[in-house]
Order: sequence, then structure tokens, then C-alpha cells
Amino acid sequence: MKTLRQLLPLLIAIVLLVAFFAFFVPGGRFLTVSNLLDLTQQISINAILAFGMTLAILIGGIDLSVGAVVALAGTVAVAVLPHAGWAGAAVAGMGTAAAFGLVNGTCAAKTRMPPFIITLATMLVARGTALRFNEGRPLPVPDSETVFLNLGNARLFGVVPVPALIMLGAFALTALLLHRTAFGQHLYAIGGNREAARYVGIPLARRETTVYVLCSLLAGLAGLIHSSQLYSAEPAAGQGFELNAIAAVVVGGTSFTGGIGTMPGTLIGAVIIGILDKGLNQAGVHFSLQYIIKGLVILGAVWLDVRRRK
Amino acid sequence: MLLRLNAVTKRFGGIVALDRVDFELRAGEIHALLGENGAGKSTLIKILGGIHRPDAGEILHNDQRIEIHDVAAADRLGIRLIHQELSLAPNLSVAENVFLGREPQRCGLLDRRRMFREAEQLRDELGLPEIGDVRMRVSELSVARQQLVEIARALSVKARVLVLDEPTASLSEAETERLFVILRQLRAQGVGIIYISHRLEEIQRLADRITVLRDGHSVGTQTAAELSQTELIRWMVGRELREHYPRPPWMPGAVALTVRHLRNAQVNDVSFELRYGEVLGFAGLVGAGRTELAQTLFGILPADGEILVDGRAVTIRQPSDALDAGIVLVPEDRKRKGLVMTDSLGFNLALPWTRAGHVNPSRRAEIVNRAVRDFSIKATGPEQPVVSLSGGNQQKVVVAKWMERQPKILILDEPTRGVDVGAREEMFGIIRRAVEQGMAVLLISSDLPEVMNLSHRLALYRDGRIVHETPSQAITAEEVMAELTRN
Repeated sequence: MKTLRQLLPLLIAIVLLVAFFAFFVPGGRFLTVSNLLDLTQQISINAILAFGMTLAILIGGIDLSVGAVVALAGTVAVAVLPHAGWAGAAVAGMGTAAAFGLVNGTCAAKTRMPPFIITLATMLVARGTALRFNEGRPLPVPDSETVFLNLGNARLFGVVPVPALIMLGAFALTALLLHRTAFGQHLYAIGGNREAARYVGIPLARRETTVYVLCSLLAGLAGLIHSSQLYSAEPAAGQGFELNAIAAVVVGGTSFTGGIGTMPGTLIGAVIIGILDKGLNQAGVHFSLQYIIKGLVILGAVWLDVRRRK
Repeated sequence: MLLRLNAVTKRFGGIVALDRVDFELRAGEIHALLGENGAGKSTLIKILGGIHRPDAGEILHNDQRIEIHDVAAADRLGIRLIHQELSLAPNLSVAENVFLGREPQRCGLLDRRRMFREAEQLRDELGLPEIGDVRMRVSELSVARQQLVEIARALSVKARVLVLDEPTASLSEAETERLFVILRQLRAQGVGIIYISHRLEEIQRLADRITVLRDGHSVGTQTAAELSQTELIRWMVGRELREHYPRPPWMPGAVALTVRHLRNAQVNDVSFELRYGEVLGFAGLVGAGRTELAQTLFGILPADGEILVDGRAVTIRQPSDALDAGIVLVPEDRKRKGLVMTDSLGFNLALPWTRAGHVNPSRRAEIVNRAVRDFSIKATGPEQPVVSLSGGNQQKVVVAKWMERQPKILILDEPTRGVDVGAREEMFGIIRRAVEQGMAVLLISSDLPEVMNLSHRLALYRDGRIVHETPSQAITAEEVMAELTRN
């Protein structure tokens, strides 16, 4: 109940945005079932990244490397695909992502380097590694790999996009983890009062490392979906994805100082960002203006949130 | 013997926090640990809690030599700490905090229902109804209630050794009494209790034995009944109280500062006058709101009401307004509010003069040299990082950086907190000199003998207001205490 009350302003924002675009998108093309289903498909990658980002920001950290990890995991997976099949590709892609998460997490937990800098560095390393493959050219996914291609493009019963289902699955798991397990409690404690968490004997290093591994794993998952959607692995894909994910997280009410935030909030944040992107596009707003409007909406949302907490 | 420390030593960098300290705790006793700030009490209990490791010496538990590697190890030994700084997670509920680190689970998921039920049970068993709804988020509770949550958490596990660091600092009298009842019950059950407090009267009522630490050494251990309060104070400070506080000469001049009906969320209709050449002391308990008053006068917190300097009304909306009016503040938390810890001595001393972005090198050298000489700041040179100065010298830097401005009104908020005895004396000297130079001094201190003996007039402060104002020599410490702790 309490959570619902906190999320109410965001839900109202969604209703207002939908109403706005229903009115302003020509021909009533916005508020149709097929358009909204497309929307769920389009927000799924950003939402999956945002779930992981929520965990990182909640403990007072950040992960700037997710966008580059999307590209690298996709590239590795597609490179492996002809040799090891879709399962091998998934393992290779996710494994690569997890390795980056492990490096991020270990550095954050064991050294005093700030996560911003650590993940800025690993972002460059991941991006560079992705570009080494095939000399930076895209790797096409063979048409015979139907399972892999279904990951990003199929629709359940011909209606519900598979990426949206994966996104909902990731939401359920991360929400369960954050709100219904001891692990989740520990993240709130670490973000809210790090010393306190230490004093009650929470293993900070292990928790912190796990958060970054999870964040990277979700980025790896997003990378598989993304390369499937594109029918090829693009080493230059995923640029700026980390910023879009951060935007969803903060619009969803997670505090940058740590210790405050919820997974449902992030989901709603990702939906709001997605509606804005799609709606502005369909309303025919020039792309330059789209950036400006999106920036102002983020600023306004966070300002309202900060004011409400005071 | 439940616990025994033999010749335990702990160093932090070059500073010896504990120097071959012996300490013992029996099962079923309340053992008070006393000492001034920085005497080593916190270090000692953090060693017991597995937060610090000793550099030398040994710890015996039931006459067995043990190592307390980490918090979990302390937990296994049944050692529970209640820290002075609140160590709760603000965004979790009371129950979630009580069970933090050992949450009840079912099939790998949190069992919130059981958590809430057991937290309610615990609250009722301990007789602490003031804790209230265990589903409330901790950040929404008052500090006193948070403190009770902390106590409940420590008692939620069967403790064999319970360590309390100033648990009553923010508790009401009724809550304090309730805590004492609980502690006596635990003592009867054979729990060994280490109790740290600055309230001597409280300790003499509660404790069986008393150990006093001073500058990292153990001064001695004595049965509480055999140790008078005077003797106790002598153990703590190492000399008679009387010679410890030279009151500055009283040379009252014109009225420097007039405050009329000052009020905001923290300041509750405060009016007073302060003359040149006098020290007005603000006595109160921690949390009475004196720091907020100082911040209001210095323009950090906005307020309604009138402030007059030299009889002329001034508008203070930000610290630069206060500086222009001749008011300076030496804030309570010097590391966070008084100094740029990442920079040098010279940088910090010259900071008030770099408002325009630049101070010329020869002017800066002149400021720094004068400050170092006038305040006998012990440093290798102007380039020494302030972080490597001792607490006392850091505090001198905070005061000295203002003096070049020749302020009219000097506000000192807890100027002797966390500095050693020698630096404390020097701080007294600084106050004396300020008065002799004709400044008006507003002194806030939670150290009752200090504020009573250094000030000429005393304002007793409680709940954001002045409840009584008197010449310092016309009131006894007992009367002051009674007034401050009245509900």
C-alpha cells in the first residue's frame, strides 16, 4: 500500500503522457493495441538495464559500462553462434558480461576507487574489445539461427513480444531479490548507512561484488536481445544506453545518494522514458527538440521527487 | 573472568589510541568506562566488537586466549555493541533494522510477517512501548526513538557481553530509567555490561566498578562505591578541577549583539544580549538546539526576528552577511564544517581572504605567519596538510582563520570537543585573549564545568529556547543539571 502511494505520482504521469500523445499523435495512432505492444518491445532493453542500474545506484554506486557490455556481449555471442549454437552463444555472451561485472565489483569493493571511474574505464575496455572483433564491422546473425533470432523478434501467440516477456521476468526476479530477500535488505542498509551495515556484520565486499555482477549479467542479457533484434552484432551498439538506464532509474524515484528506491519505480521510470521517446517520435517532433524535452522531463521529475522527500 | 584485556595497544598512524591497556569484565557486573573525549574508550570497545584489531596485547575470554577478527566473530562470542553514532539503516523499518544481518527467512525469502511479530514481541518484552509501530521507517522516528531501536536490536540476541556507548545521550529521564531497569535485569542474568557515559551521577547509580582511561592509558579500576565524584573527575582530567578553568576577566563594555524573538523550526523565540568583553555561555544537553541557534546567527538557517549589532539592525541571510556584521562562527564539527581537510594549513588560514578568488602571496604569507605565531600552531610549515595536524592544532586553525578579520562577535560551538587536555587549555587561553581584546564571546559547550567556569553569564538552553539566564557564579552545577534535564 505504502509503495503504491509512493508510486502514484509516477502512475499519474504515465496516464497524463498517454492521454497527451493519444491526442497529439496524428490519426490516433498512439493509443492502439499494436502500438502499445511495440512500445513494450522498445522499452524492454532499457528496462532490463535499469533494473541492474537500480541495484548499483541503491548501494551508492553506478555502472557506466552497461552500454559497452551490451555491445560486447552481443558481439561475443554472435561470434560464437555458428560454432556453439544458441545456448553456447548465450553462455559466452553472459559469461563475458559477468567477467566485466566481477572486475567492476571487485575493484569497487576492494579498492577505494570510485565506481564512476572504475566503470568508466571498463566501459572503454569493453567497447574497445567489442571493436576488435571483425575489425569493427557488424557480424550478421545467420538466418538459420531461429532460436536466437526469436529472442528479440518473436511474439508469443503472435501478439506479445518475447523481449517484453524477458523484461517482465527480469523485473520479477530483481524485484523479488530486492524486496523479498535478506540480500535486498542488505543493499538498502549499505546504501543508507554503510558503516551501520558493516557494524551489523553484513559482508560488504561480497554484496557489492554481487550487485555489479548482476548489473553486468542483465547488460549481457540485453546485449543478446539487442543483437537478435538487429539481426547482427554491432560493435558500436549500445552507445548511451547507460545514460538512458540511469534516467529511468532516477525518474523512478531512486536516490543518487543511495539507500532509497524501488524496482517497481524503476519499471515505471523506464515506461515513462519509453512513452516519451515513442510519443515524441510519432507526434513528429524534431529529434533535436526530443532531446530537449526529455532532458527537461528528467530534471522536473527528479526535482519533484527531491521536494517530496523533504 | 568473562573478558580480560592484557596490555592491549592500538595505533592509528602515528597516534597511539590505546597504550598497554588492561581491562577486565566479570559476568554479572556493570562496568563503567570513563574518560574524556579521545581517551581511547571508543577504540577499546571497537576492538571488542571486532571493528579494530589490536596491534599488541591479548584478549582472554573465559581465560582462553581469543582473536576477534571481525564483527561476526564478536557476534559468535555474544558481544553486542550499541554505538554512540546511530548505526541504523534509515530507509528500513524498525523491525527490519532490528533483524538486519540475520533476517528470518522462509524458502530463501524474507519472512516479514514473522519479523514484524517478533519485533513487536521484543518491544513488549523489553517494556519499550515508546518504540511504537515496528513497521515505521527509521528515518521518520525521533533520535530518541532511534536510540531505543538500537538498544532493542542489541538485546534481540542473547548477549553475554553488552557494550553501551553513551546510550542515554538522547533519552528522556523516563526512558533512561527504563533502560537502567533492563540493564540490572541483564546483570542478574549474568551478562557482563560495559557502560560508557559522561554523566557521572548516572554512573555512580548504575555501575559496580569503574575504569578510567586517560590519553590512551588506563588510570585505574575501582569499585564504584569507593570512588567519590571529585576523585573520579581528578582521575579523568588528571588534576584538580579548580585550576583547570581560568575564568577570563570580566570587562563588560557596550552591548555588541542583541537578539530579539529569533525563531525558526529549531529556534523557539530566543532573545538575549551580549556585551563586548564578556563570555555568554550556552549550557544544554546534546540535542537542545544550541548548534542550530549558532547556525541561525551565522546565517546558515533562515529565521524571523531581529538581530542588532552595535544597536543597529542587521539582516543576516547568509554567512557573508554575518561576516560583514562582524560575527564569526567556529563550528561544532571542525572536520566537516571548519576546515578544508584535503588542503594545507596555509590554504585554510587564507581561505576567508580568497573570496574574490585570489589572495596575493605576500599577503597570504603574512596572514599565515601571524596566525601560526599568535596561536602557536604546531606545524612544519604552511604547506603541511591540515589532516596531519593534531585535533587541537586543527581547532586552532579554525579559530585563527577568523581572527585576522578582527571580528566583533565570536561564536564558539563545542570548541574543546575531541581535543586533548593541552589543546583544551590553549583554547581557554584563546578565549581569554579574545575577551581581553574586547570581543564578545558566545560559548556553546556540553561540558558543564567548562561552560560554567569560563562564562560570565550563563544561558540554560532546552528545546530551542533559553529557559533561564543567570550570572554563572550565582548557580551551582546541580541546579543547572536539574534545569536542563527537566521535562
